[in-house]
Amino acid sequence: MELGGELALTGVDHRQALRGLGYGDREPDGGTLALLERCEGELLAAARPRWRCRVLDVLDRGAERVRLEGGLTLPGADIARHLAGCGRAAVFCVTLSAGVDALLRRTQAEDMARAVVLDSCASAAVEQMCDLAEARIREAFPGCWFPYRYSPGYGDLPVTLQSPLLALLDAPRAIGLCAAQSQMLTPRKSVTAILGIAKGRVERGERDGCGRCFLNGRCTYQLRGKTCGT
Amino acid sequence: MELETLLQREFVLLDGGMGTLLQRRGLPLGAVPELANLEHPDWLLDIHRAYVEAGSDIIYANTFGANRCKLASTGRSVAEVVSAGVSLARQAAAGRALVALDVGPIGRMLEPTGDLSLEEAVDIFAEVMAAGADAGADLIAVETMTDLQEARAALLAAREHTGLPVLATMSFEENGRTFLGCPVSAMALTLTGLGASAIGINCSLGPRQMGPLAEQLRQYTHLPLILKPNAGLPDPAGGGYDVTAEEFARELARLGEEGVQLLGGCCGTDPDYIRLLKGELAGRVRRRREASVPSAVCSATRTVPVDRVRIIGERINPTGKKRFKQALAEGDMDYILSQALEQTGAGADILDVNVGAPGIDERAMMERTVKALQGVTDAPLQLDSSDPAALEAGLRAYCGKAIVNSVNGEPAVLDAVLPLVKRYGAAVVGLTMDQAGIPAGAEARLAIARRILDRALAYGIPRQDVYIDCLTLTVSAQQAAAGETLRAVGMVKEQLGLKTVLGVSNISFGLPNRPAVNQNFLTMAMAAGLDLPILNPNVESMTAAVRCFHLLTNVDRDARDFLAAYGGEASAAPAAPAPSGEKRPLGELVERGLRGEAGSAARALLAAGTDPMALVNEVLIPALDRVGEGFERGTLFLPQLIQAAGAAQAAFEAVKDAVAARQSGQSVSKGTVVLATVKGDVHDIGKNIVKVLLDNYGYTVVDLGKDVPPEQVVRAAREHSAPLVGLSALMTTTLKSMEQTIALLRAEGLECKVMVGGAVLTEEYALGMGADYYARDAKQSVDIARRVIG
Repeated sequence: MELGGELALTGVDHRQALRGLGYGDREPDGGTLALLERCEGELLAAARPRWRCRVLDVLDRGAERVRLEGGLTLPGADIARHLAGCGRAAVFCVTLSAGVDALLRRTQAEDMARAVVLDSCASAAVEQMCDLAEARIREAFPGCWFPYRYSPGYGDLPVTLQSPLLALLDAPRAIGLCAAQSQMLTPRKSVTAILGIAKGRVERGERDGCGRCFLNGRCTYQLRGKTCGT
Repeated sequence: MELETLLQREFVLLDGGMGTLLQRRGLPLGAVPELANLEHPDWLLDIHRAYVEAGSDIIYANTFGANRCKLASTGRSVAEVVSAGVSLARQAAAGRALVALDVGPIGRMLEPTGDLSLEEAVDIFAEVMAAGADAGADLIAVETMTDLQEARAALLAAREHTGLPVLATMSFEENGRTFLGCPVSAMALTLTGLGASAIGINCSLGPRQMGPLAEQLRQYTHLPLILKPNAGLPDPAGGGYDVTAEEFARELARLGEEGVQLLGGCCGTDPDYIRLLKGELAGRVRRRREASVPSAVCSATRTVPVDRVRIIGERINPTGKKRFKQALAEGDMDYILSQALEQTGAGADILDVNVGAPGIDERAMMERTVKALQGVTDAPLQLDSSDPAALEAGLRAYCGKAIVNSVNGEPAVLDAVLPLVKRYGAAVVGLTMDQAGIPAGAEARLAIARRILDRALAYGIPRQDVYIDCLTLTVSAQQAAAGETLRAVGMVKEQLGLKTVLGVSNISFGLPNRPAVNQNFLTMAMAAGLDLPILNPNVESMTAAVRCFHLLTNVDRDARDFLAAYGGEASAAPAAPAPSGEKRPLGELVERGLRGEAGSAARALLAAGTDPMALVNEVLIPALDRVGEGFERGTLFLPQLIQAAGAAQAAFEAVKDAVAARQSGQSVSKGTVVLATVKGDVHDIGKNIVKVLLDNYGYTVVDLGKDVPPEQVVRAAREHSAPLVGLSALMTTTLKSMEQTIALLRAEGLECKVMVGGAVLTEEYALGMGADYYARDAKQSVDIARRVIG
């Protein structure tokens, strides 16, 4: 099963954008808020969010890998544990489009303060688009249970999985999303993710939490004694 | 038979989809389709034969993704996959159809969005194309491109590594732009200029959506047109497309009548679609183009037709500008970019780029400047140099259709520069002078213009791409000359029908009230037929003259542009005076991040005699420190820190101007820091934040940009004797390059300290890989610079 197309970005989650700028839950001053609103407007004008998704059967699994329909293998003990009980997985990618990269480049040459705010708005926006994409997948599978979405680079799921995931989704052609040699996604404000789909709730132990995060020990939330909440 | 012969026909039939048909035969999901050439040759023979039997005059070999990047994980070489693919197509065609080597996108993005350089892309394509030519392909079909620069790379590779003709198509969305924002017009102008045999559109849309785009395409090229649509749009219910073979054939045949000569199908189409299309086309006649292609230039994302007066901004030019020369000498690209953005903000349509100055490697600087400019502005560029090597470097890097400024009537100049203009598909400015100098009379200038035009035509440069500059002479020296220049403009316009260019500001040298002279001369020249004034758009009276001219000549319909520019003024009261409250001290302006005010306050202090260094050390830096402390305490945040730095930067610009004006050789710099985002990393916002802060603490920052190889960091550190090198990495995959860079700096015996930062780094890891310092954030990098440099 394939899903995808355009996604509607109608506004930026200000709270999330401010968190990205280090505000935590503190209120910004009037100047910063005005800047945030200006950046939001510029971002909405430049972004053309799109996504692409394939729902695949889990063919078989071991302690340290999950093999999907079509032959793609997701290596790692973490993804194997994460997809426990999931008979299918939705592999998807989301991008805000290259127009946002161009906007970020231009803004960096014009005004770095605006550029950092814009960058944070874009990061918030791509998460929102992922939420939207995930909601579409959930709608398509009523009554199913879904663990949280999981991306290359989380836990021991290698970031080098970006290229094969994008190839599987025909993402370069279909939505203009590629990976650089370093596996960085281009356009920059893009995400690939895997969403497990289970027939019923799968009981697992504790949440994965910070211990399994690749940012563990250097995350800015942790430095301030908090967590990102995922 | 050759492509040229085939193009004598009313219509040329291409083939249809390949991927769909391979999947129907059992190609697994996610597999590399080109491997079927080796593993299932029978599938390919079947598919190709079916297309030939359906009526395809050209079939595409199964080589779309057969490049070294996409084949990397397969263990197969480009040569074997391409050679097998072309051979199978030839075998199936058996002389009944031509075989095209199919070349799709590489699958990695080019700079500036991605990490692939133009020359790497050319090299990747060259490997595929050389293999295709060796295997006996009759032509090359470059298709499904969404990045104009990648399409350029493919055309350059084809021309430089094979003698085969090229059909070039790109994929557009319904809004007429590719994923990377390239409009149909820019594609048409650029690829026509690079020597494609036919151009067009494939994939992404169905025939119905392609109709309006084909019409746009027709306007901007004289080449045969290609359409290879999908079988409609993807069916929202999943799988498949929404147009039947009958509808497809009917709709596409209609577009054939509208003027499209080469027709086929893309995703979702099969031999049935082609067979029915052939039937529909029988007996139909293709509409021939009536109008010639207009004069127009473009960047990758914006086309500027010369259908009204278009302003060419003159400010990217070191002549007579100390600050600009200093920026060139220091490789300060940010300064040059700021000059570009200021001009486009003020109304420039096109930017002249001149980076020639004594002691500057103009060739390298032109290439670097063109790349940097096209990353931040969509204004087309006019490359301004008398050095053919610099022009060629700029033209090769430039993604779009540029203007070359300039040639003159001297045969040696014409023969050195016009071939470059032709090779890269640019427009060219011809100055009406030659080895004998500038003729006094308009008739003699017209004669030179004619000579330039003839030579350009002989080189194959189309008439509409030759612009003539009748040359402005200084009226204070030769008062009668202004009239002759204007008369010559009129004559070139009427008798040769060419577009005209003039550098306007020269007119008033040596006179008082220059702005008034310039503005009036500009208006007179526009009335005489000037199309492309080269001027300083930051001078409001000049852009106002152009807007007024468009208003008064009914070009600016309904005064839309005029009202957009001035509409707010008409009803408003005279501009409010500045707030009357007491003036804030410069330090406070910096703390509050008030950029404009900080700049003016600094200029006022300097004009009143404040020592520039004292201003930096006693006002700017303490103010930044106070902001920095707030940032560390968590009472101020990143945007405020950077806004303060931006305000300090405005004050710093004033200081730099003051120091440059003194010519004392004094430097405001505390010392040099080399910054780079390491090899493999293509995003550098973190490094740029550090740069802004260091800049404004008075350090000279040599910014090497992103994706920087270790050798370049070593070279820069050595060349600038930098005591401190800052490296940034964003990905776990690029930490390796960071480590290699540090190792190379050490191995080469450089005594610099190294600080590192980036989202995935920890202090422990940083020190473990041999860095001297780990900077958690931009503020810390300043603290480190102070510790190392002072």
